[in-house]
Amino acid sequence: MGGVEDDQPPSKRVKVTSKHLEGFANGFSPRESPSCSLSLMMARPLSSKGDDEILGTKGIVKKVELVRIITEALYSLGYERTGAHLEEESGIHLQSSVVKLFMQQILDGNWDKSLHTLHKFSQLDETTIKSASFVILEQKFLELLDEEKLMDALKTLRTEIAPLCINSNRIHNLSTCIVSPSQYDQTEFAAKTAVKAKARSALLEELQRIFPPTVIIPERRLVHLVEQALDLQRDACIFHNSLVQDMSLYTDHQCGRDQIPSQTLQILQEHSDEVWFLQFSHNGQYLASASGDHLVIIWEVNSDGTVNLKDILSGHQKPIFHVSWSPDGLQLLTCGVQETARRWNVYSGECLQVYEKNGVSIVSCEWAPDGKGIYFGFTDKSMSMWNLEGKEVECWKGQRIVSISDLGVTSDGKKIITICKNSVILLFDKESNVEKFIEEDETITSFSLSSDNKFLLVSLVNQEIHLWNIEGHFKLVGKYKGHKRTRYVLKACFGGFQQSFVACGSEDAQVYIWHRGSGKLVETLPGHSGAVNSVSWNPGNPHMLASASDDGTIRIWGLNQVKMKPRGPDSNGVHYSNGGTPGEKARVLE
Amino acid sequence: MGRLFVESLEGNVYSCKHCKTHFALLEDIVSKAFHCRHGKAYLITNVVNVTFGEKEERMMITGMHIVADIFCVCCGSIVGWKYESAYEKSQKYKEGKFILERFKVLGPDGSTYQGIPEAQFAESDADEE
Repeated sequence: MGGVEDDQPPSKRVKVTSKHLEGFANGFSPRESPSCSLSLMMARPLSSKGDDEILGTKGIVKKVELVRIITEALYSLGYERTGAHLEEESGIHLQSSVVKLFMQQILDGNWDKSLHTLHKFSQLDETTIKSASFVILEQKFLELLDEEKLMDALKTLRTEIAPLCINSNRIHNLSTCIVSPSQYDQTEFAAKTAVKAKARSALLEELQRIFPPTVIIPERRLVHLVEQALDLQRDACIFHNSLVQDMSLYTDHQCGRDQIPSQTLQILQEHSDEVWFLQFSHNGQYLASASGDHLVIIWEVNSDGTVNLKDILSGHQKPIFHVSWSPDGLQLLTCGVQETARRWNVYSGECLQVYEKNGVSIVSCEWAPDGKGIYFGFTDKSMSMWNLEGKEVECWKGQRIVSISDLGVTSDGKKIITICKNSVILLFDKESNVEKFIEEDETITSFSLSSDNKFLLVSLVNQEIHLWNIEGHFKLVGKYKGHKRTRYVLKACFGGFQQSFVACGSEDAQVYIWHRGSGKLVETLPGHSGAVNSVSWNPGNPHMLASASDDGTIRIWGLNQVKMKPRGPDSNGVHYSNGGTPGEKARVLE
Repeated sequence: MGRLFVESLEGNVYSCKHCKTHFALLEDIVSKAFHCRHGKAYLITNVVNVTFGEKEERMMITGMHIVADIFCVCCGSIVGWKYESAYEKSQKYKEGKFILERFKVLGPDGSTYQGIPEAQFAESDADEE
């Protein structure tokens, strides 16, 4: 018998039909099958004790289950004959006869008979039977109402539904339906009774949800499993940086590195001293950079991806270490070291306001999310919120440390995040006055808040970057290592398609990019000749990155043009970067 | 250089003689009886705001050790060393701790220490016992 091993005792061999054998006879042995995760045709039983037959190499797929969901898939696709043929050929029925009878009775509206059949099901427990009975009787009730058989409906409600003693709220609803039929017209169940056949198959779906899946196979289960597998493949793809429209089932999805920005497209040299920080505006159309030369430069991002200088903002008398875009992108907040903070109009380049506080220096500043206020951190350990004119609106004392510190404000304006001790971050809920803490083992040098307010990227003095989930219960969910940090503040950031990457500069003059989910280092980008202090990923373009360095330059990074391959019809959304010339089609392993 | 990250300590702080960067707290001192080229030195459990040199073998009065020099993160002056490992079992207690040269730091009261001109001890680390 063909490719099935002959050294197995006859009783263990699979009963294969001649059709099945063809595949084996052509020298196609299971071991040489393509590297597909969904190796459906590998009927190599590890054990064959009738119903317990296992398929696949991992010993977790039961043959009976697989055949049943394939059968269900065939019926769902409309291939009734093939579905029936498969049931006959495999000897495995999609539904047991009891279930078949039950489903038919429901569709025919034979309520009492269906309830009787319901009690014949062997695998159901008390509660499931009650829940199922309830929805069946509910449908019976509604249909009786529809036919204006009020007395019968009332009888059903009293003698059949009520004794079940579940879902009393719904029973009350139903009883009001008798009293004022107009009311139930307006409920969401009006549509249910509109068309009887549709309502009954909806009831069947409801029952499917109530029953355990072994009784009635959930509809389109096979498609659901396939979608799950594709999701997992996409999550596992550490280079995934673009919207891939088609994912093929033929091979596992895996992007090549060519979707990650890795080539210097431009070097911006207008600063005359170290560049300490930069950030794209929220819509990705502008870039602001802060330098030791006391200047802030605003750059414009053109539609072709090039960047040119738009404005130089001068006025600060000290090096500038931070900039913050207003929520509407029209203004910029800048902060000088032990100096003032300034608010600028981005379009005119005009300085609108200077902020300072007597006797203390500003160590951090951020816009309030409504654009009407600014949060400041000061060297006297206090934190304040001022209005745009410079008047203090709120103040919190004693919560921060004196030295270099970051400030984060969630976009709903409710939480303020700051470093309150060397290794502790404080998350302060303004409304509820609740303080929550993230405690690290090492001193924290800086942090970044994700744009969805759910994650915090914390940089530590021991050259590790930690990712914390700050929704609900705080949880450490990722660690990123490999870069070099011994002396400076290096700001890390999120970026890329769906914020799937973490990027940070390094004292070895490279930009480091990690895959956020897996923590794997994906790229290191050499080019700068001094420590890279800050990296910003364009929120509007997952393929553009900007880096600021002690060498006084800003580098704009984009996709490596040579490696990019055209997306032909066979590419299956898989990108290869084997340095071939454009025009070469991607080859799928066969 | 980039934007330096400098930690602040609170309490009785020993700081850099040149740039006043904080290094260590008085309470973290394990022993004040150590010596180095410039005289007095302290054995300390924890030091901040320093960068590390290469690890190298060094012969001390108490035996062979592997140490790494430590430098002020701000001005770069050498301020002592860290004991990475000790060969002698009796010296293992020093592993992971730091030596801060008294000559290189300001005391908590801001005082300096003149040191001993040219070593009686070449590269030493004499102990109490």
